[in-house]
Amino acid sequence: MRFLRSYAKSLLLWELLLGMRLTLRHFFSPKVTIRYPEEKTPKSPRYRGMLVLRRYPSGEERCIACKLCEAVCPALAITIDSEMREDGTRRTTRYDIDAFKCIYCGFCEEACPVDAIVASRFTEFHFEERGQQIMTKDVMLAMGDKLEPQIAADRAIENQYR
Amino acid sequence: MSDETVNIEINGEPLKARKGQMVIEVADDAGIRIPRFCYHKKLSVAANCRMCLVELEKAPKPMPACATPVGEGMKVYTQSPKALSAQKNTMEFLLINHPLDCPICDQGGECELQDLALGFGRGVSRYTEGKRVVSDPDLGPLISTDMTRCIHCTRCVRFTEEVAGYKELGATGRGEQMRIGTYIEQTVDHELSGNVIDLCPVGALNNKPFRFRGRAWEMTQHAQVSPHDPVGSNLWAHVLRGEFLRAVPRDNESINETWIADRDRYSNEGIYSEERVTTPLLRGKDGLQPVSWSEALEVAAKTLSDVIREHGADQLGALAAPGASVEEHFLFQALVRGLGSNNLDHRLGQVDFRSDGAEGHYPWFGITLEEIESLDGAMVIGSSLRKEAPMLAHRVRKAALNGTRVGLVNPAHYSYQFPTSGHLVRHGAELVTAAAEVVVALSEQLKASVPEEVQGLVKNVEPGAEARAIAEGLAAGESRWVMLGQLARSHPNWSELRALGLAAAGMANARFGVLSDGGNSAGAALAGVLPHRGPGAQAVKDAGLNAHEMFVSPRQAYLLLDCEPARDAWDSAAARDAMAGADKVIALASFMNEDLRQQADIVLPVGVYAESFGTRVNGEGRWQSSQGTVQPPGEARPAWKILRALGNVLELDGFEQMDPEEVLRDARAAIGEPGPGEENLDGVELAQPARPKGLWRLGEMPIYAVDALVRRSEPLQQTRDGRAAEARLAPADAEQLNVNDGDAVRVSLGNRGCRLLARIDTALPKGSVAVPVGLAETEGLGPRHGGVTVERI
Repeated sequence: MRFLRSYAKSLLLWELLLGMRLTLRHFFSPKVTIRYPEEKTPKSPRYRGMLVLRRYPSGEERCIACKLCEAVCPALAITIDSEMREDGTRRTTRYDIDAFKCIYCGFCEEACPVDAIVASRFTEFHFEERGQQIMTKDVMLAMGDKLEPQIAADRAIENQYR
Repeated sequence: MSDETVNIEINGEPLKARKGQMVIEVADDAGIRIPRFCYHKKLSVAANCRMCLVELEKAPKPMPACATPVGEGMKVYTQSPKALSAQKNTMEFLLINHPLDCPICDQGGECELQDLALGFGRGVSRYTEGKRVVSDPDLGPLISTDMTRCIHCTRCVRFTEEVAGYKELGATGRGEQMRIGTYIEQTVDHELSGNVIDLCPVGALNNKPFRFRGRAWEMTQHAQVSPHDPVGSNLWAHVLRGEFLRAVPRDNESINETWIADRDRYSNEGIYSEERVTTPLLRGKDGLQPVSWSEALEVAAKTLSDVIREHGADQLGALAAPGASVEEHFLFQALVRGLGSNNLDHRLGQVDFRSDGAEGHYPWFGITLEEIESLDGAMVIGSSLRKEAPMLAHRVRKAALNGTRVGLVNPAHYSYQFPTSGHLVRHGAELVTAAAEVVVALSEQLKASVPEEVQGLVKNVEPGAEARAIAEGLAAGESRWVMLGQLARSHPNWSELRALGLAAAGMANARFGVLSDGGNSAGAALAGVLPHRGPGAQAVKDAGLNAHEMFVSPRQAYLLLDCEPARDAWDSAAARDAMAGADKVIALASFMNEDLRQQADIVLPVGVYAESFGTRVNGEGRWQSSQGTVQPPGEARPAWKILRALGNVLELDGFEQMDPEEVLRDARAAIGEPGPGEENLDGVELAQPARPKGLWRLGEMPIYAVDALVRRSEPLQQTRDGRAAEARLAPADAEQLNVNDGDAVRVSLGNRGCRLLARIDTALPKGSVAVPVGLAETEGLGPRHGGVTVERI
């Protein structure tokens, strides 16, 4: 009996039909894939992409060289040199993040007392030469300037939960 | 403190304590940690921070552990709900006015307030009113101030007053109006001032040159020994990514306790001076040109052998800085002696070498630093102790406050900040007579006869009241000490002063000691960097020329080890002329200077003290080694490596060592155990000093000009002591010369001279003018002590 049933099933391609049914169901269901790069997936305000440095609206850099991000970084990706700027404030002379070492954990952002280093939504970067992965202070400040509207909007949402 | 013991209990743990001890001391000894801010084991008890409140059984209120003496059967609870609540409430009050600027505060990460706030502070402040803001006084180039952070523990005030002995810092106002500052506008840069940085439990007082350059947690800490004075203070070098950023004291109860002098703390700023030599240099057509090491060594070796072949080994003079390490000194003397010359010395600041043969094996204090504290009587001849060796001065001050009767014989009235049994101040040329007065007074006091050797010096000497007072102080008690300072050692009558010091020590049954130059003059003497003695104080057959003779009878070639003859030498002008006249000058130098630029034929860049393994012997005869903690900049190499390579190129024996430890082993083997040796007067001819014409130049070595490294430390040069290029005149002389404070004067000797600003100083006796040595301004003047003329210009 059991033998007959399995024989009939295989003769009639029953399992294939079961598979085709699934295919057909997905054929008419809504799609989850998108056409990158024309289309992009939505990102959370908490998304942790490329790290950038921010400025105050006055144009003054936020970073005060407290080195807490450097201390908390589990991948040792951050290197900071600091000194007293001419106006007597504490500033960095070097702020490097090795993008190859960075694991995008966001600890630096959490440690930062002045919201200077933040994880942006930006993920689309590439390097063409060895050494370019060291993101210098100038590079990160420039990226921060470019992304500031989005970053500020994200921080405003985040601040509700702080 | 009494020896009677009492039994107490802390947190249920039975402990024994000496009667009169404070609870916090007993707890610290037992490893029970009580939070505190104002209490410090080396300072008096102030009990004003209230952080150490603990619960005592039967006491109605919590008591401060730092100000509560133990009693029999006392039961203390440091962690009970009552104690914890008192500590937490104190913390809340302390944080009311403390700014939340830890991220930009240099103390962040090593802050006592931060640490304790983690344990005892509330997560969120309940204080919503305005915080107070305090303006920052400018305390000079060494200490940065952020007085808003101050929690009024008064450790800095107590330190400056109790340990340093100055009344520079104080608290004004009360309650919220309380301010720490200088009463009148002035800088705080006495020779121990930097210690308030370590004492400050918050970030109110910080290291100014180090400001904002590094964090406590990211620096590595390496043990070092200071090379600037014979105390050999223990330091921690704090290094960030290969850069020596700051020095802090390393506790060593028998040397520097928990303090260090500013000279040790800030000299590292000189390491990164622009004058650092970073490549080997060779004189070409247009001055010194960078060359490779192999070429430089080849040429140096060839130059040395050429000079010796042409002029004889006797024409080579070799001078080493007294701050170089034993390893460097040992290889240096091996190289020079290997080349056949005995013209070898490290005592650049000395002129009178008559007692060379009678001196001990190495210059030492004659006593350990700790023993100084338990002396009954002491006498110091010719020393501005506070400037020459600040940590030694601190010990002597501690002793004096403890009852030791310290007498001083000096060419100027130096400030000591402690009670003395007498301070005999005489014109420089009469210093010998002054010492003789004390010797005569001492012989009367002790009814002992003056030793025969010095009879000639005490003839017709009638002791004055001051000399009698000093003698009385020295004769008191059991343990006594006589020490001769750097001013005595550089005096033209060093032999006479030493003989009188020895005579006094002999009569009073006192120990006899010498305060020498540099951080390793004891090591240099042991390693054999002397014209008359080889390693281990073995007399050599044909004694060579000493440092002074090498300049007054110039040599054809000079080999220098990290010294700057025009600054270091007793007769700076003769030294400069000798260098200029020499056929070849080969300098192992860490820093470039104008003289080297013009006179040196080969400059080999060497590392400074933190840049290679080095052993230094301090004034107690204590050997202290420290590792190299940073790399020498550029092509510079540790001096021992260069000397070893030079020895190899010259194919000399004894240059096979692979590492500095091996050099040290070889040095130790060659030196053996000679001990300090005997100080006597055998064969020393003594003469009555003559008084020269004109004013007596008192050539003090300013505290921040003692060696090449200190001279390059920018912050130290900006202090009051660093700006010392002044001619200080006694009021009577100034009047006679018609010179006012701040006038420009010309100090001259023959056709040499220098232009300086005059300062009227009541500390100087009539007929003296203090013109410092070791400075660019006074290089051209010549002899350190002796007659000069001063005129207004």
